[in-house]
Amino acid sequence: MSVIKTSPNVPSRRDLFRLAAAAGVGGLGLPRGAAAAGVTLTFMHESSFIKAYDTYMQKTLVPAYEKESGNKLRYELLSVGSLQTRVTTAAETGQGPDITLNFFNWPYLYNEKYIDVSDIAEEAGRLNGGWTDSVKEAVVVDGKWKAVPFGNVGQLMVWRTDMFKAAGINAFPDTWEELYAAGVKLKVKGTPLGFELGHGFGDNHGWLYPLLWSYGAAEVLPDGKTIVLDSSETAAAVDYCRRLFKDTMNEEVLGWTDPNNNKSFLSEQISCTNNAASILWFAKNDFPDMAKMIAHAQNPAGPKGRFHILAPWSHSIFTHSKNQAAAKDFLRWLMNPKQLRGWLASADTYYAPFLKAFDTDPMWNIDPRYMPYRDSLATAHLPGWPAPVSRETSQSVAKYVVVDMFAKACAGASTREVIANAVAQLKQIYGQS
Amino acid sequence: MASTSASLSSPAAAVAGRRRYREFFEREGIFSWLMVTPPLLFLAALVGYPFCYGIYLSLQERPVAQAGTFVGLDNFVTLAGDPVFWRVAANTMIYTVVATVLKAVGGLGLALVMNQVFPLKNLVRAALLLPFIVPTVLSTIAWMWILDPSFSVVNWTMINVFGADKPGPAWLGNPTLAMISVIIINTWRGLPFYAITLLAGLQTIPAELHEAATIDGASTWNRFRYITLPLLKPVIFIVTMFSVIFTFSDFQLIYVLTRGGPANATHLFATYAFDIAMLGGQFGLGAAVALAILPPLALILVALAIYMRRVG
Amino acid sequence: MVEGRGFLRPLLRLWLPLAFYVVFTLFPFYWMAVTSLKPNRELYNPRNMPLIVHHPTLKHYVDLLQETSFLQWTWNTMLVAVVSTVISLVFGVMLAYPLARMRFAGATLIAFTVAATYLVPQPLLFIPMADIINWLNLGDTLTSVMLTYPTLLVPFCAWLLMGYFKTVPRDLEDAARIDGATRIQTMVKVILPLCGPGLISAGIFAFTLAQNEFLYALIFLTDTSVRTVPVGAIAELIRGDVFYWGQLMAAALLGSVPVAVIYSFFVEHYVAGLTAGAVKG
Repeated sequence: MSVIKTSPNVPSRRDLFRLAAAAGVGGLGLPRGAAAAGVTLTFMHESSFIKAYDTYMQKTLVPAYEKESGNKLRYELLSVGSLQTRVTTAAETGQGPDITLNFFNWPYLYNEKYIDVSDIAEEAGRLNGGWTDSVKEAVVVDGKWKAVPFGNVGQLMVWRTDMFKAAGINAFPDTWEELYAAGVKLKVKGTPLGFELGHGFGDNHGWLYPLLWSYGAAEVLPDGKTIVLDSSETAAAVDYCRRLFKDTMNEEVLGWTDPNNNKSFLSEQISCTNNAASILWFAKNDFPDMAKMIAHAQNPAGPKGRFHILAPWSHSIFTHSKNQAAAKDFLRWLMNPKQLRGWLASADTYYAPFLKAFDTDPMWNIDPRYMPYRDSLATAHLPGWPAPVSRETSQSVAKYVVVDMFAKACAGASTREVIANAVAQLKQIYGQS
Repeated sequence: MASTSASLSSPAAAVAGRRRYREFFEREGIFSWLMVTPPLLFLAALVGYPFCYGIYLSLQERPVAQAGTFVGLDNFVTLAGDPVFWRVAANTMIYTVVATVLKAVGGLGLALVMNQVFPLKNLVRAALLLPFIVPTVLSTIAWMWILDPSFSVVNWTMINVFGADKPGPAWLGNPTLAMISVIIINTWRGLPFYAITLLAGLQTIPAELHEAATIDGASTWNRFRYITLPLLKPVIFIVTMFSVIFTFSDFQLIYVLTRGGPANATHLFATYAFDIAMLGGQFGLGAAVALAILPPLALILVALAIYMRRVG
Repeated sequence: MVEGRGFLRPLLRLWLPLAFYVVFTLFPFYWMAVTSLKPNRELYNPRNMPLIVHHPTLKHYVDLLQETSFLQWTWNTMLVAVVSTVISLVFGVMLAYPLARMRFAGATLIAFTVAATYLVPQPLLFIPMADIINWLNLGDTLTSVMLTYPTLLVPFCAWLLMGYFKTVPRDLEDAARIDGATRIQTMVKVILPLCGPGLISAGIFAFTLAQNEFLYALIFLTDTSVRTVPVGAIAELIRGDVFYWGQLMAAALLGSVPVAVIYSFFVEHYVAGLTAGAVKG
């Protein structure tokens, strides 16, 4: 008694309780949740552009979880572009939320600060028909799952059926060349194409990497060392891109960031862009007439096939979390189809799940126009593919090596020059200069 | 007052003691240090550590969330061979010099205008401060619309009034126009602060000086040239120097508007450092980029210090 | 001839430049106002003349006030800005007065060091700063930013005030000293009142920067109940690649116009303060 009174440093009973809970709920064989009762988990997320999705977490899942587990759950929402800053700060200072959302290759970047969640991921896979292979690129680091995949925010072709029809095109072009031919006609009609070529987070990589790959080109070989960007395939892709830009788009796309193409599409300035499903979703709410004439399609194919960008959302638990056991229980609970289905459905399948059992889930029937987002997963890869995720591929993305290679060509530089520049940058990034 | 109290012995000692005590604290050296120590300690505590940490980072190969290895000046060597870095350096120079000149000249002009007498003066003065008041992230979002070719008033007028071809200039898509656009926005945002600061400076100039000069037959230009400008000089100098520093390390505006695009045409030191460190997870290299602003800024500060000593 | 001059001079010296400045500085605000009043259907319609609202609506304002904690954010912002401004002005005066008026060892070095604070790049400084905040256990409190903002404000305030302090004639100070005033009394009763305009312009600078700051607020304030206007608005009104333009512009206007009104009183005051000072001098 007196000791506790005089020394403020002695852990309080609640702290001891927390420690006990953290030490291993499973190990003691206690019923889930019961031992962890009273802890507060913080779950950090980027605010989804679909409000209903965040609301579903706040109004349905959080109360359900709190009731079942006796824990508290704080759902912390951040703005777009802010999440990585917060994750970095948490990883660097060892303080902050217990669980976080990841994009792209973050499980790799923050690998050392994330706990191994292989058991949860493998169990979820086992119970739900297995995982789509492609997602493992993003979450499995050195053989361990460092994050539990949630869903893919696909980048696909979003197009106006009526504008295409007015230009005499009834189906979405199957190849890049056909898209070019269609685009020329569309631009004449005053409804050009509009693909981001600026420094956004996603809508630029979303079509430029697939374009590069579909011409058979790549930055680096799968060995993660050999730079192979200087090739005739790259040159063909660059030449194509320059033509596409000059003859089917307006100059402004060079300066676009991610919101610009949404705005341009919704204000009926362009007939086609490469984007997530956010345009259709927004149109359904605010422009129902236009929404009827919006459709999605997979990316066109090039000489060497059809590709898409992998943009996975996944969840990780920080090593600094004092409630790791409870956090793992929460993730396991969240991945249970009972919870997962509701959350995915609240977003109109905007997040395409990587669990194969969900491919036939009735939630896809809400609006079949989202189906291409499901079907594109099989050909989706992270920026930098076929090289494995590495610090070098991250640097290349951060420096917009591939995006700027295309953008400079569109702004007038020669193919040889832009490829040489990009290769020089890659050499520097890979320490070979 | 001091001499009358000397007649009583013990209070006199106390007074003398107090006086000595007081004199001690009234000495310029002592008084000054007592004054400046608390703020200096505050700054040292909160900025000293981060500053050293930044230098320490820049000397390391330091991936985010991992231990670093000491590499000496390798990061700076890497930067020296990075064409984007030099592009960023050139961008930052152009951005800073042009925007600062525009803000200084425009701000002085605005201060001179606001220093005159006209109806609703206070209201106008406050309204003209608005660009400086409104949170930069939000005003930049407004500019995103204003510069959108489909919505821009300039494009609308060119197309609908003068019959120009659609879509008109791509304010953020053309590399040159993009740089001009961000400079204009920066000027728009910073101009009012120059104006209000210089206005405060104008008002410390005694009216008698102008009156005397007018009686002596000095023209408006000469009064401005030989009275106003010299007296404003210290304030102009300080505001300009700090404006240079803030413009040099500008982040929010670019980050919201172009994020450095198109093809690095508007990338600045701060945004490039942020991309490398945050998106790319290379803390060491990012810190090196950020610290590359040190030499040019240090030069500016040395100029400041020399100037202040000469004036002071 | 004389009448012509009387008409032309104010036109050239006042009205034309004033009109230019008013248009240049206020046009974006007109734009914000128009945007915030347009329903989405009209907002996204580029065929309209962009400067006219055809079907004005207050929907964006209502949504902003009802669906977000905008008023709470405004209160937080004001509180944080006022406290950090006061701290910065006090520290600024403490630094500037001796540096401007006294001769003492190390003065130049101190002035230099204070300004060197700005050499620390903020986009990287926030991580060690977060360390300090965590260490002080101030995460998610408004105190965290009240403490960190002055690091951005004090150096400029100090330098600006140094400039103003130097403009006060030394005789005034000497007179006060001969009358038996201590240095502190001289500073508070003689110098500071004369430097009202300087204090106000430093205060406006500090206040504005504090309410504008984004990065520290983003890192240190994560709960929506402690957020400031810029961070709160961005977090809740930009969703994915969809911007809630109307509400964002409403937030920009509601967040800045009241401050401008408050400033207008100050602007008047510092003119008045100055005349008083001139009479005394």
